[in-house]
Amino acid sequence: MSDIPATSAATLPDDVLVSVRGLKKYFPIHAGWLKRHVGNVKAIDDVSLDIRTGETLGLVGESGSGKSTVARLMLRAYELSEGQILFRRASGKVVDISALSDREMRPLRAEMQMIFQDPYSSLNPRMTLLELVGEPMVIHGNSNRGEISDRVAELLKVVGLRPEFLNRYPHAFSGGQRQRIGIARALALNPSFIAADEAVSALDVSVAAQNINLLQDLQEQFGLTYLFITHDLGMVEHIADRVGVMYLGRMMEVAPTEQLFSNPLHPYTEALMAAVPQPDPRGNRTRKRVPLKGEIANAANPPSGCSFHPRCPYAQPRCSAEVPALREVAGGRQVRCHFAEELSLVGAVA
Amino acid sequence: MPPERLLELDNVHVHFPLREGLVKAVNGVSYHVNKGEVLGIVGESGSGKSITARAIMRLLPKRAVAPEGSIRFRPRSGEQYELSALDRNSRAIRQVRGQHIGMIFQEPMTALSPVHTIGTQIMRTVQLHKGLSRAAARERAIDLLAKVQMPRPAQMVDAFPHQLSGGMRQRAMIALAISCDPSLLIADEPTTALDVTTEAQILELLKQLQSELGMAIIFITHNFGVVADIADRVSVMYLGRMVETATVDDIFYAPKHPYTQALLRSIPRLGVDQGRRLPTIPGMVPDPFSVPSGCAFNPRCAHMVPGLCDVTVPPEKMFGLQMSRCHIAEQFAAVQEPAHV
Repeated sequence: MSDIPATSAATLPDDVLVSVRGLKKYFPIHAGWLKRHVGNVKAIDDVSLDIRTGETLGLVGESGSGKSTVARLMLRAYELSEGQILFRRASGKVVDISALSDREMRPLRAEMQMIFQDPYSSLNPRMTLLELVGEPMVIHGNSNRGEISDRVAELLKVVGLRPEFLNRYPHAFSGGQRQRIGIARALALNPSFIAADEAVSALDVSVAAQNINLLQDLQEQFGLTYLFITHDLGMVEHIADRVGVMYLGRMMEVAPTEQLFSNPLHPYTEALMAAVPQPDPRGNRTRKRVPLKGEIANAANPPSGCSFHPRCPYAQPRCSAEVPALREVAGGRQVRCHFAEELSLVGAVA
Repeated sequence: MPPERLLELDNVHVHFPLREGLVKAVNGVSYHVNKGEVLGIVGESGSGKSITARAIMRLLPKRAVAPEGSIRFRPRSGEQYELSALDRNSRAIRQVRGQHIGMIFQEPMTALSPVHTIGTQIMRTVQLHKGLSRAAARERAIDLLAKVQMPRPAQMVDAFPHQLSGGMRQRAMIALAISCDPSLLIADEPTTALDVTTEAQILELLKQLQSELGMAIIFITHNFGVVADIADRVSVMYLGRMVETATVDDIFYAPKHPYTQALLRSIPRLGVDQGRRLPTIPGMVPDPFSVPSGCAFNPRCAHMVPGLCDVTVPPEKMFGLQMSRCHIAEQFAAVQEPAHV
């Protein structure tokens, strides 16, 4: 059951590039020496989300909230348990990729790419930049060596690396440069959609800023659509047009960035924003900061009702009894809280 | 040392002779920590912030050489140690570690022993340094776990590190570090691997323990938000040198070094519109074999004065309690407004 009624298969509103509906991912738990199936880890439990063409959708939440799993499901890197993933191809045709076989999926992979967090483990140390960045082209049937090496040189230039680096190995590069190699590889097949999973989280402050600017330039230049996953709220406020907040496999709130930060509707969003220490010592001294109690619950044994209720300062009896639905409220915003209208929550922006 | 001093570093050097050349990881660092204060040390990777901390603990890699500099330390007990003269395995340094200086690390999973319960690890430390019996040590371990707000301390004392979440492991490590009431706690990126909500809890806990136990903290981080939250004074490091040291307010609202200013501008901040592009620092941190001559920051600096900055190393200039290692630091003296507005 999806909260947002799915329209008939394979149609999308004109401005939407990717849409997931009622997405679920359960990992089975096996126990005992017979390895019997005793339960499920509900990593993703009913997530619906539209990403519009050309926008950056930020996804935030604590570790274990399922943000990376959503991205991996959208690219079919994991098999989904239930749900629909609609994707508008470059040709304009909308396909439901959730049901495609690996072979059918292959041409679509050129259009959907991913950038990873760790620039050290995501690049094969035994491959040169030419091989690393050129590999997607080889896989997608280009065997013209000259063409590939021209294209790789061009891509390196696009991401701000020198084309002469073609025959070097990743170890010769710093973390920020490696991240750019990963970006060049993601761009190799002219995708329209890129999922960036904590793409700048491992980098130093000054390098992260450079790479964020690069991602924004590329978005403008190639008309890219981003799913930008991060735990850095300052970063997401800077780069995202809209933000989704996840907790324990569920989407708690989706809103345009400005509205989310000035006027959060879900208590978890408020708590997340309050937890971020600001580079502003005077502000920190005056700001009321009540740290969120406890830790994210175990997804194998989630709390009843609203999964956030054990940590929620506004919880009422109804919250532990009834699972709130992700519903539309005023201003086209979505929130999964029984009391969204009654609470007046404090944002990070005055 | 003045009476309020706990730790004083004077012109500390740590070099690594490698096949490719000499790496001056720490190149003349001087700072002090007073009793009961929190000194934040910020810098990008490779700036030497962690190596300096390890030099204090004498936990440097074996191939490191420390050609000059002195590190003096006077814990609550009153005796004075010349840490820089101690051998990494000497009896004296083993007394200082654990007993007078506690240390917590970024990754508790690799810092704690995976094959001993957290209780055992804490008990060994207090049995060694405080001479407690097994039973008394176990009592103390449970008390310490309660003090770091570990839920159900009497049961958790028998838990192995892998059974705990990241935040709980970090609490266990803090319990271990404070087990002997140290005068100084060195915290090396203790919240970097944690979620913001857990980070806020750990910072709150550290602040509370600090005021309760009256210990000083050296807090190493690359996160300006964290340092603004916890530090009394802040030092900024770049390529093995301290470029600026000041009170936390002066660092954030009146920085006198172009590197500090540029770093502060490049952080995306909640609620501050920084335009579509983030201001960045051009180029990248040079590799340690080819540190620029003169001021190490000069090739990336917007205020670089040719013939001066690329020739001579700037001296440490003092403005009251604020130190800036910049030739033209006077020029920034008038800045009173926050650098990011």
